[in-house]
Amino acid sequence: MTFAKRFFGGLVKFYRGNPAGIIGTMIVALILCACLAAPVLTDNDPNKRVARGHQPPSAELPFGSTRAGKDVYTQVLYGGRVSLLVAFSAATITTVIALSIGVTSGYFGGRIDEVMMAITNVMLVFPQLPLLIILAAFLGQVGPFVIALILGLTSWPWGARVMRSQTLAIRNKQFITAAEVMGEAKWRIIVVEIIPNLVSLVAGMFVGTALYAIGAQAGLEFLGLGDPTVVSWGTMLYWAQSSAAFFVGAWWDFVVPGTVIALMGGGLALINISIDQISNPKLRTGRYLRIWRQLKAQVDAKRSQS
Amino acid sequence: MAFLLRRLAFYLVAIFVAISFNFLLPRLMPGDPVDAIFANAGGRMPLETLEAYKAMLGFTDGPLWEQYLQYLKSVVTLDLGPTIMLFPVPVADVLGNTLPWTVFLAGTASIVSIGVGCFIGLYASYHRGGFVDRFVPFFWQFVASMPQAVTALFMFFVFALTLKWFPLGFGVNPDIEPDGSLTYYKSVAHHAVLPMVTLILSMLATWIFTMRNAMVNVLGEDYITMAKAKGLSDRRIMTHYAARNAILPVVTAVSMALGFAVAGQVFIETVYNYPGVGQLIIKSVSTRDYPLMQACFLLIVVCVLLANFVADLLYVVLDPRLRT
Repeated sequence: MTFAKRFFGGLVKFYRGNPAGIIGTMIVALILCACLAAPVLTDNDPNKRVARGHQPPSAELPFGSTRAGKDVYTQVLYGGRVSLLVAFSAATITTVIALSIGVTSGYFGGRIDEVMMAITNVMLVFPQLPLLIILAAFLGQVGPFVIALILGLTSWPWGARVMRSQTLAIRNKQFITAAEVMGEAKWRIIVVEIIPNLVSLVAGMFVGTALYAIGAQAGLEFLGLGDPTVVSWGTMLYWAQSSAAFFVGAWWDFVVPGTVIALMGGGLALINISIDQISNPKLRTGRYLRIWRQLKAQVDAKRSQS
Repeated sequence: MAFLLRRLAFYLVAIFVAISFNFLLPRLMPGDPVDAIFANAGGRMPLETLEAYKAMLGFTDGPLWEQYLQYLKSVVTLDLGPTIMLFPVPVADVLGNTLPWTVFLAGTASIVSIGVGCFIGLYASYHRGGFVDRFVPFFWQFVASMPQAVTALFMFFVFALTLKWFPLGFGVNPDIEPDGSLTYYKSVAHHAVLPMVTLILSMLATWIFTMRNAMVNVLGEDYITMAKAKGLSDRRIMTHYAARNAILPVVTAVSMALGFAVAGQVFIETVYNYPGVGQLIIKSVSTRDYPLMQACFLLIVVCVLLANFVADLLYVVLDPRLRT
């Protein structure tokens, strides 16, 4: 009961006076629900030919058909399941790695910290996408599962640095010292004392990585490095590109998956910004700053008079 | 000086890791790229070429460390052998032709977006809670969160294909002689507009947010209050006291942003058919041109590290504490 109360209390606090967070969550939730409810929202099979190629949007096919005569509407819904699953699994892997590396090296310090941060920094200066391209090229056309794995295993360095610096900031606080003096086990200090203080950072990182993974997966598949037989937002773009949809005027073939990806990205970004403002209240902006500005204007006016 | 030397050593290690990664990756994968190359060429390849590839990629018979030394030597001497895609043009030549385009595009776009982004960030933090502060960063973040491939496709569809304001591809009109005349440069500029705008759109928000957040943090410091107490003008406090210190985290963010710029480059060059390294790496992947692919990767890594080093130099100029 108390847990539920605290949880919902926290949610209400997060969304109050936070239009960016509300809009972002609504967009993401809407797309997520639509993808999950795909079998209810459409009777077609994403892999089945239902019409002639490149039919414009109509009552029967709300978003038209692809070159191969597949229903774009059905493909977007079912493709979203794959894309979102990849994004969220990559984000989970990344968050877990970043959290464990960051907290370990921040809490233990010394030699462990040096070695871990050296690896992190080297990983960090590598441009990620070319690395992904090379990996994907050597692995051959990779399925969504492998893409999630590669993205998850390569995107943790920045997060690890952020987690580490935050851990460094709290490890000398008195409640940690108190726990140490009382003889709490190290793992318990990390799990019970430190990690709860990183929750907003973890949430921000998870959303940020999911946002990145949506784009990276769509990009890799668009470039033809993914498995083109799997229906996802990225492969839809790939097929649109390889069937020259733009040049034959079949704009819906591009525009539909493109818009959905863009909306999903935008929604996640809005959530991300509002989480940032929660973990660092200084960064906030909004209507209540108006009072502060009015006061400041008054003071300035007084100053210029005297 | 010690700082720069330490950074230099770090970059050397990073390059070494990249070379080793390049060396190990094909060996960890099933099969051998030379066989793939041979199969790809339909067996039409002279035996000497095949041997040359083996030597160049280090797939000679011999212990692993010997192969490694061989590979290191070929990288250091830039003797990267011929490409497969454009046989027999050497890899180094192909890279040399594409590099200026990419550096031009990415360099200009980065400088413009850093400049404009920092300015907007500064303005937003100056007018805290004002219109710009409340809406502009969010708007740009929304724009920037679209994957670059999607942004590029939309821009291409609207401005190049439908409105026909800009050409459909390439870096320059192929009918114009590259003689350095004004018409030539005009054509280059005309072709660069769309890719550059797309790249700037995808990067701008990062800089707005980095600058704004850095400013907001700095503005809470005691020396700002002190400066206000001394009665300095707001403008002077903003530029000489706050921005001067807020710029440091911005410079640190360069290394993160560069990787992003490179990624954008790959998609944007592919969509606009721009003759840069980003497009080349994709072409080499689709034609299974392993030597070219690996050379592209190495080149991109070296460029990013170089740009990072420039950022470090800048840091030393901006932060007197490092000048010991």
